[in-house]
Amino acid sequence: MTSSSSRYLPLRALGELSETRYWMYLLLLPSLVMILLVIAYPTLYGMAISFRDMRLTRPGLDGWVGFKHYAGMWSDPVFWIALKNTVVWVTAAIVLELALGLLAATALNRDLPGTKIFAVLILLPYFLPNVVAGHMWALLLDPRLGVINDLLVRVGVLETYKAWFADPNTALAATVLVEAWHGFPFFALLLLAGLKSIPEDLYRAAAVDGAGVSAQLRLITLPMLKTVIAAAVILRVIGLVNSPDLLLILTGGGPGDATQVLSLYAFQTAYKEFNFGYASALSVVMFVILMIFAAAYIRLSRITKGEGDD
Amino acid sequence: MATLSIKDVRKSYGSVQVLHGVDIELEDGGFLVLLGPSGCGKSTLLNMIAGLDDTSGGDILIGGRSVVDLAPKDRNIAMVFQSYALYPTMSVERNIGFGLEMRGVDADQRKRAVDDAARLLQISHLLDRRPANLSGGQRQRVAMGRAIVRDPELFLFDEPLSNLDAKLRVEMRTEIKRLHERLGTSIVYVTHDQIEAMTLGTKVAVMKGGHIQQLADPRTIYERPANIFVASFIGSPAMNFLPGRLASSPSGVRFAANGVSVAMPAGKRQVDFDRPVILGVRPEELKAVARDEASVTGVIDVVEPTGPETMVTVQVGEQSIIARLPPRFAGRRKEPIFLAVDPASVNLFDPDSEQRIDI
Amino acid sequence: MQLNKRQFLMGSAALAMAGRVGGARAANAISYWHHFTSQSEMTSLMKIIGSFQAANAGVAVTQENIPNSEYMAKVSSAVLTGGRPDTAMVIAERFADLTAMEGLIDLTERVNGWQGKANFPENRWTGLSSNGAIYAVPAFAFVDWMYYRADYFEEAGLAGPPTKFDEFLGACRKLTDPSKGRYAFGMRAGAGGFKYVIDVMEAFGSPIVKDGQPAIDRAAAVEAITFYSDLFLKEKVVPPSAPNDSYRQIMEGFRTGQTAMVWHHTGSLNEISAAMKQGNQFSTAPMPAGPKAHVARVAYAGNGIMKEDNIEAAWQWVSFWGQTDAALTLLEGTGYFPASAAALQDQRITGNPIYNAAVETLKFGRLPNNFVGAAGWSENVVNPAFQSVLTGQSTPEQAVDRMIQGLEAALR
Repeated sequence: MTSSSSRYLPLRALGELSETRYWMYLLLLPSLVMILLVIAYPTLYGMAISFRDMRLTRPGLDGWVGFKHYAGMWSDPVFWIALKNTVVWVTAAIVLELALGLLAATALNRDLPGTKIFAVLILLPYFLPNVVAGHMWALLLDPRLGVINDLLVRVGVLETYKAWFADPNTALAATVLVEAWHGFPFFALLLLAGLKSIPEDLYRAAAVDGAGVSAQLRLITLPMLKTVIAAAVILRVIGLVNSPDLLLILTGGGPGDATQVLSLYAFQTAYKEFNFGYASALSVVMFVILMIFAAAYIRLSRITKGEGDD
Repeated sequence: MATLSIKDVRKSYGSVQVLHGVDIELEDGGFLVLLGPSGCGKSTLLNMIAGLDDTSGGDILIGGRSVVDLAPKDRNIAMVFQSYALYPTMSVERNIGFGLEMRGVDADQRKRAVDDAARLLQISHLLDRRPANLSGGQRQRVAMGRAIVRDPELFLFDEPLSNLDAKLRVEMRTEIKRLHERLGTSIVYVTHDQIEAMTLGTKVAVMKGGHIQQLADPRTIYERPANIFVASFIGSPAMNFLPGRLASSPSGVRFAANGVSVAMPAGKRQVDFDRPVILGVRPEELKAVARDEASVTGVIDVVEPTGPETMVTVQVGEQSIIARLPPRFAGRRKEPIFLAVDPASVNLFDPDSEQRIDI
Repeated sequence: MQLNKRQFLMGSAALAMAGRVGGARAANAISYWHHFTSQSEMTSLMKIIGSFQAANAGVAVTQENIPNSEYMAKVSSAVLTGGRPDTAMVIAERFADLTAMEGLIDLTERVNGWQGKANFPENRWTGLSSNGAIYAVPAFAFVDWMYYRADYFEEAGLAGPPTKFDEFLGACRKLTDPSKGRYAFGMRAGAGGFKYVIDVMEAFGSPIVKDGQPAIDRAAAVEAITFYSDLFLKEKVVPPSAPNDSYRQIMEGFRTGQTAMVWHHTGSLNEISAAMKQGNQFSTAPMPAGPKAHVARVAYAGNGIMKEDNIEAAWQWVSFWGQTDAALTLLEGTGYFPASAAALQDQRITGNPIYNAAVETLKFGRLPNNFVGAAGWSENVVNPAFQSVLTGQSTPEQAVDRMIQGLEAALR
């Protein structure tokens, strides 16, 4: 027994608490508070704003407006263009990144001499911040000084330098290529980890069974990477839908609205027009679309069912 | 005609040679076991037969046809892997039929072949499952099913039983033997387990350091090992080795060491008296006898009754040997013991070259 | 390392205590947010900070550079969530938004009691005032003008720079030769291009906002957009990259000899002078006049105070920028024009002919449109609307309609 004089010291009391099962909850408390503070509160606050008129430049204009912003979106042509562009941009970028990532991962998985250095080189684009990558490619594709234009003219593909981002027919494609270059290492890295977990014996067995390279890819590699691919695609889609920075630097959504996407539109609405109500509504729509996408995708790829790799 | 001929096959990785000119012939319907400790080159040899590894030299013929330039799928072989290598995302049925599927066999025919194989292996009720939902023994059967459904010229087994527990291993060993007798297809089987080698093989190649130490039928390997390595690798408990000398005596040639005097069978060859030799005696060739019949005299060190027999460790001079004696052996520690050896069962080895000496 | 529970608790308590000690700052340190980025801008800024601190011992200025494109996002976040700086740079185009979000502190009394006020004519204060209250002290001005290649003009047999839009168009036709990769006019239609679109609209007689109400004259605006976009679409006197060309691209085009004329302000004089010779190769001229009005912007930029905490020191700092020495330090370093009339009398300006066009422009130049939401409307509506005309996605009429609707929404 402890002496009664020291019993009521706060530290002593804490010490005794630490012997009980409530201690566990007490230890969890800080992270719980952090999560509520930095994730739950801003999310809910953002959703609440989408039902209010909130323009930073109109302090007087404040109040609940119900679904006004959502109704406004319905008749906002830029919203629909941005929605379409988002779908096209994200889909094209993901498909390219997945293909390039698989190619790179397969090459790196071969353990040939020099693959270690090659692995680091392949990952380099991903280490570049979006902003740096954006400015770098803006220069590479520059209509006057661009190295890529120079190369294409020398090779004979182009007659004169092309202003890739000035033509609505090429602007979105060009930004997709830049994004694919920037994002494919993410897939390469995850897929490489996935490939490493596929036993070599499966390929040996397949070779004896008579499966060629494409059959091995289709029937062994891809099915076994399904979970990794699904996780990577979801993460990447979320990342792409939510990050406007590359497009902000390369095109600013232009020319016209040719490369306008939802995230950029929300960003511009919030920080150029200071219309936080409408911008929040746009963000909520993105949030809902992403939730639906993720749920549908998980269901389609059936990765939650226990049919997997042991 | 030989199903498999391996002719002076070599393998090196860079400057490291892992196989030095291996020659093996396997008769039609034979069961060749490649036996040896890990790193002896047995798996490499198997992979070269399968076409999963390139040869650095020599030739491999399957059914009289050189296969070194053929892809694995064109060698008319089927292989069972240590890890089973079942495709996790496919059902058992598709796993078994995969080889046929890849060869463009139509679905009906495939189904029939898979059903036959499944019945033979008693796994018909598992066809819809996935490998993850099977026990180790069931996976093993599926892996074999995948091999036999193709009806190849040659089966290759790469340590197929090493991932199973002891009881299942015995069961599956019997199963493989039954399968071989029933199908009659030639098999090359890699293992480091000498019991598997002895029970299954019609021909055993004991390998070490990329060389074949001995290639013979199991009985010869057991009774007349070519060298000390083979002698000690095969048999459990291992063969007893006693260093000593050959000496002449009135009754003929004898092996003599401290506490040991064994009469040697009359040989055809000239005996080099007084040379140092190593006597090899299997534990079961030792019998407890009366003092005057003894050729080995020693002191009991440990007595271990196992049920069907009793293992007795005996101190003979400086050496310790093990004798496998009847179950009701009554000796006790520190008591003297007298053992007799059948001269026909002993082996002599050269202490320097460790090779067998025939006299 | 294994800690027992007691050590863990004691350590946590100690850390919590330690956290209270830091964080306090010297009483007379003030922060300053700005969007200077180039080497020359930063050097000038550091010089001004140096001379300020020499004159005001005990006040330390901590400057923070924020990229121009992120400036308003950062400032509005600071207003929304706290964390305002003591002082901040305020350019005319952003003044209305900044005061509307209550980001600036009313400086009227201090300005009225300040002896330097007399150096600044009334129009310097107009752009930095709202409802009669002054919120920032003018520091420098961006005076819009035109840079042109004197050698190309001579080669094409042109006597001098165009003074009216029709002369401008005529010159454009003569100066363009796609076979040489040469275009007359470096049109800016990428980021920031809205500025000149609005200028042209006003030059064709369409106001933008009157008395806080949308006032675009549709017919005049359509005429203006047609004229301006035709330079690209029909006349083809503009590089094909124009729809995405921003500041960097039009400057590159001019410096590399691809274009013969660009519209910009005095701030790029140093950069262009570094690439080619004043007089022989390039010269400056006032912007050409439109059919209805002669439009060129004179945008006074100043510095405001964003919070009360260190207001005395902050006032010392923002008013320091109004002094002639500070203004001329900036002019010499960057080419930014002084806002102070006193500084304009300096021989370094009056004695240099390249500045004549700017001094001329000061006489007729207009302040930028100054209404709440101007920045958002310009960037989010005018820019894409005009770009879509250039790329053939919409007609000038459609673009003007979009601008009108966007303006109504912005002002509603």
